[in-house]
Amino acid sequence: MASSSTWSMCSLRAALPSISASPSCPSISFPKYPSSSSGFKLSKPKSGPKPINSFVGLAPMSTLLFPSSYQDSSFEFTIIDNGGRISAMRHGRKVPKLNRPPDQRKALLRSLTTQLLKYGRIKTTRARASAMRKYVDKMITMAKDGSLHKRRQALGFIYEKQIVHALFAEVEERYGGREGGYTRIIRTLPRRGDNAPMAYIELV
Amino acid sequence: MPRDRDPLVVGRVIGDVLEPFTRSIGLRVVYSSREVNNGCEFRPSQIVNQPRVEVGGDDLRTCYTLVMVDPDAPSPSDPSLREYLHWLVTDIPGTTGVTFGQEIVCYENPRPSMGIHRFVFVLFRQLGRQTVYAPGWRQNFNTRDFAELYNLGSPVAAVYFNCQRESGTGGRRR
Repeated sequence: MASSSTWSMCSLRAALPSISASPSCPSISFPKYPSSSSGFKLSKPKSGPKPINSFVGLAPMSTLLFPSSYQDSSFEFTIIDNGGRISAMRHGRKVPKLNRPPDQRKALLRSLTTQLLKYGRIKTTRARASAMRKYVDKMITMAKDGSLHKRRQALGFIYEKQIVHALFAEVEERYGGREGGYTRIIRTLPRRGDNAPMAYIELV
Repeated sequence: MPRDRDPLVVGRVIGDVLEPFTRSIGLRVVYSSREVNNGCEFRPSQIVNQPRVEVGGDDLRTCYTLVMVDPDAPSPSDPSLREYLHWLVTDIPGTTGVTFGQEIVCYENPRPSMGIHRFVFVLFRQLGRQTVYAPGWRQNFNTRDFAELYNLGSPVAAVYFNCQRESGTGGRRR
């Protein structure tokens, strides 16, 4: 069964014109919620069931159809999913640990918020992006307050002085009308080296 | 988790550059055999030369205008030069490519210096062959005002991609 499926894939691929290689192999991951209905957590990342692999041969076929059709919903030909992590609940999980001891974690979040405030849009892993939101919002809220005390608190968190001063100067015109929600996260393709799910985080 | 929406809305291209529109014409942009999909990442070394653009539609008589802008110039945290015009081609006949059109503003190799920039291709349908004047300078170009000025209406297609500096992390590892 396995040998026949690989043979058919190779011949299909050879017959079709070469499609430009995307970073991760095109895997059609159907929404995994039906599969987890039995209730156990799938902790293996990217557990592609065997029958689905034989459909990989069809992936070049679908990309041939795409050029003529509209790319309405195709973000990429590889699906941007949540990285194979399925769990229905978050009960009791208050602090994202980011696989680091507390001092390193704090330093990482400080540097990430500094970079985001400096560059406006950065690309990082999804876990880090969603962990940073709180701190970025805190910094912008402090800037909105604008008092000396808040400025000094911000200086104690952000690594570069100019960024704090620039932020305090321009936050009024940029975020004066907006209450909260100063960042946006856009999920993107996984990283090639370790297949980590990536995301862009940007200031709204 | 946001439900799956149009990538142009998620990437805020609709909002920063364009008004909401319904796409009616296919647009295919290919940079040396790699196709541009919404939100994918390119390196400056891959986008040095102008891409091959294929306009859809079914009528050789309707003309289209293609605009390529960068809404995050000079940096996404401080877009004071929003938008920076990189390319402007008019009178592209339907179902053909960009080589058949008139290049009003020649293609400029994007070199983002700071941050991750979005580069947006917008396609408008022209009412007829018209002379479009090149703007005096590339920065502070406004796509909406441009469409107003030449009565192009709302866009018929758009696609965008991201790009950052070559030597940033985007260059070192995929």
